[in-house]
Amino acid sequence: MKAALLKNATIARLVVLPTIVVIIVCFYAPILWSAYISFTPSGMFPNYHFAGLMQYDRLLATDRWHVAFRNMLIFGVLFVSIAISLGSLLAILIDQNIKAEAVFRTILLYPLSMSFIVTGLAWQWFLNPTMGLQHFVQDLGWAGFRFDWLVRRNLSIYTIVIAAVWHSSGLVMAITLAGLRGIDPDIWRATRVEGIPRWRAYLHIMLPMLRPVMVTNVVLLAINVVKSYDLVVAMTQGGPGYSSDLPGKFVVDMAFQRGNIGQASAAAMAMLATVFIAVMPYLYLQMKRSG
Amino acid sequence: MKTKLNLLATALSTLAVLTGSAGAQTADVLHYWTSGSESAALKIFADAFKAKGGTWVDSAVGGFDTARATALNRIAGGNPPTVLLDNIGEVADFAKQGILAPVDPEVAKDLTAHLPTVLAQRISIDGKLYAIPVDIGGGNWMWYSTKAFADIGAAPPKSWDEFFAEADKLRAKGYIPLAFGGQPWQEASLFYDVLLAQGRDTYKQITSGHDAKAAGGPAVVKAFEVMRKLTGYVDEGSQGREWNDATALVMKNKAAIQIMGDWAKGEFLSAGMVPGKDFGCMLAPGTQDAYQMVVDLFDFPKVSKPDNIAGQKLFEQVIADPALQAAFGDKKGSLPARLDADVSKSDICTQLGQKTLSDPAAQVPNYEFVYTADQEGQVKDLVSQFWSSPDMSAEDAAAAFSKIVAQSSGN
Repeated sequence: MKAALLKNATIARLVVLPTIVVIIVCFYAPILWSAYISFTPSGMFPNYHFAGLMQYDRLLATDRWHVAFRNMLIFGVLFVSIAISLGSLLAILIDQNIKAEAVFRTILLYPLSMSFIVTGLAWQWFLNPTMGLQHFVQDLGWAGFRFDWLVRRNLSIYTIVIAAVWHSSGLVMAITLAGLRGIDPDIWRATRVEGIPRWRAYLHIMLPMLRPVMVTNVVLLAINVVKSYDLVVAMTQGGPGYSSDLPGKFVVDMAFQRGNIGQASAAAMAMLATVFIAVMPYLYLQMKRSG
Repeated sequence: MKTKLNLLATALSTLAVLTGSAGAQTADVLHYWTSGSESAALKIFADAFKAKGGTWVDSAVGGFDTARATALNRIAGGNPPTVLLDNIGEVADFAKQGILAPVDPEVAKDLTAHLPTVLAQRISIDGKLYAIPVDIGGGNWMWYSTKAFADIGAAPPKSWDEFFAEADKLRAKGYIPLAFGGQPWQEASLFYDVLLAQGRDTYKQITSGHDAKAAGGPAVVKAFEVMRKLTGYVDEGSQGREWNDATALVMKNKAAIQIMGDWAKGEFLSAGMVPGKDFGCMLAPGTQDAYQMVVDLFDFPKVSKPDNIAGQKLFEQVIADPALQAAFGDKKGSLPARLDADVSKSDICTQLGQKTLSDPAAQVPNYEFVYTADQEGQVKDLVSQFWSSPDMSAEDAAAAFSKIVAQSSGN
């Protein structure tokens, strides 16, 4: 009996082994390689001569990197918090046993079916002051109407938040709605017996119960924040100037347009470190709980 | 996935070698010429190549950046293209890294004698030529609406001061004074044209001469001041606009002028407009005595298969031919790279360009000649940031520019 169990475990390990090898070769090895390259003076092609922190010095002295990094924080905080609040609100509204629920669900989830490139282009046209919303409202007679955030240096990053929220709120709604539907009807009955108003029941009982669902939402959206590249490229190309640049775009530009993979690797390492710092508290909690 | 594709490609090419005849000449040409006029121009070379018995494998990749990434990946992965449409700034780097094969000495000798000197120098290393330029575009052109200037009863501007004097009149008549697309590369090329207007000798000092002191000097400060003034004469929708959409504003007589390289001419011509009548061409304000050369060239990565090496030799002969270069230039809208090619049948803009270019002192380099891709990128960042930040002073911008130019001493 014991031998059979051992055998099963061995087989299981053997089956998992190829996956582990693929992950190590395709994910971790390139990370280590990039980490090393970030300490070399590599230009268009790799150069394995060790050069210390020179790439990081240059990175920290580059204004564009600071702008990109700050934009990631602004974008991350606003996008995640607005998309989750709006998505949850929509889920709660749909949860009120409304008529034609499926129609509303489909409409709200629809933007998610579009790629970030299409989303970005559509919003770029919509927000362009000479042919989009501003132009349309001015033609209707409100000549003083202005909505030109897209071309304003200090506001362009917020237009990207708007487009991303539009794109992803539906996803949050779908996940949260699934969570709400999974709540035991007895709890609802209990709140009615106690005479708790519906809004308070949602705010103080149902949503806190949905913590695991919310964590899923945050993780899914946060992944979008870190990898966001296509949306900016399609919408503003990082402009005006480089005011709406994001780290992902910075890395790709350095590596492929400017032939500077050393600088690109240093920036990629800085991104990795940021992600690591962000998930650290979560990992720590997990470890504490299990250990 | 990529390894699989590479394996497949290797298998296919092995098959091709096995089945092909011994004297085959094959060229796998990696390029990004996909627009109407560009592919029509390239077809001239392709047809001539095929007529001489070569096999043309067309690897067209849409967009310069994508093509560049593809080329780098293929070279790094050991499967280089036979012929590469490349950027002049990269030739020296590539050659020094041992990636490129030199041009056949006989072709090189004939060609070097007929190229603009500054151009030949830039692509020769240790006496060997590493690329073949096929055309010379001009970066400092001004395209204007003849109707707009007839409306205000003035001549198109020969200097930026004249432009500013006319710009308000143009605006009062409902024209956008300067058709512009706010993309970093367009902002940077406008900057270089404005800089060239501060005198061609200063310009040469800063570009070919890598003179960091001059790059922080009064000419550059003045150029940035002109740029700042120009930000007031574009329309609100210019942010992120493509260059050809800006050209369309001039074509439709909505805007008065556009400062853009001679590839813009193709847009006017393909709309059936006649230069000198429906639209005007002049060199950019203040730059009548200079021709900022933008070069398209092919280079030849080192390959091992005999049919590819033979293909490179044949391809070199085809694209170095002066008659074919002239035919190519007419389709593409640019001048032949060889100064001995005959352009007497070309339009007035081409002839003006050729006349300007024939004076060696007027041959000034485009920034791709002299700066690395990394520096070019930094200049784009700087100019683009200056263009969109009204609070950034011309002095600060010039100081930052000087720092970027200083990096090029090793080049």
